[in-house]
Amino acid sequence: MKMSIRPDHRALAEALRRRVLEGPGETAPGLRQASAERAAGGPAAEAPYDDLARQIGEAAHHVTDAQVSGVLTATGSEKATFEIIAAAALGAGLLRWEEAMKVLDEVTNASA
Amino acid sequence: MRLPEIARGDGFANRLLISFISMVSGMRLPDAARVAFYHKDFFSVPMGAWTQAAMRGPSAWSVAERELMACMVAKWNTCAFCVGAHGAVAAKEMPRPAVDEVISDFRTAPISGRLKSALAFLEVMTLRPKDLKAEHAKAALSAGVSPQALMDAIAVGALFSIVTRYADALDFAMPTPEEFERAANMLLKRGYAS
Repeated sequence: MKMSIRPDHRALAEALRRRVLEGPGETAPGLRQASAERAAGGPAAEAPYDDLARQIGEAAHHVTDAQVSGVLTATGSEKATFEIIAAAALGAGLLRWEEAMKVLDEVTNASA
Repeated sequence: MRLPEIARGDGFANRLLISFISMVSGMRLPDAARVAFYHKDFFSVPMGAWTQAAMRGPSAWSVAERELMACMVAKWNTCAFCVGAHGAVAAKEMPRPAVDEVISDFRTAPISGRLKSALAFLEVMTLRPKDLKAEHAKAALSAGVSPQALMDAIAVGALFSIVTRYADALDFAMPTPEEFERAANMLLKRGYAS
């Protein structure tokens, strides 16, 4: 697919955030938001989501079968477990997006 | 794959599609593509839209440069699947030894100064995001990276901070080097949109 217009990264990031953290799903948006915040270094979420979300944020390559199966048992569905994993990964990614854009905006606004 | 439903496909049509693509391509469809078919409306549609725009949309960075950025974010996140996948795509558009030199040490690799400066920014963003300072952005801009190009690079860094995490949390199966090569052709031809 060819695109001639420069990507609006801010709008695309916000659309992703709103869909995954606020939109409909098998899990409650509040639980997804808590998982995303936890993966971004925020406060502890409820068990067993806390352990998986924290691990995804800190070092996802150390996630264990037990951490995922704990969430699978609690949610009762693979789709709901996927939602928690996606939300946590998104939280860690958006933390980086926001921190990086903050310093870029600081520099470009100062020179404008 | 820790969630077998993703590997199988959710729904008859997706299971059929995964089997068909695997048969036609002569390889097991990589787990990254299986995720793209799963619970699409929830995640892969908005994720694919941003990823396609960042990786294939207009940018001062070539496709190979953006794939190298993705590969390096994967390296810093210790995601072997994404290092293999995006290194293979970059190697379609630049010599494989150069890709390997970047993975080994981007600061001494045969790439442009502006790409090195963008990678230096992405390294801090990936590993120590709270340590990012205006000085890091200024260093990239001083090396000839425009503000728009730095934003494009930041988007790649953010997206692959997400991809690497779900790839490892789900424990994606590792393709062989030959399978990565074939998958790279698909990624170049079809892109990332779901």
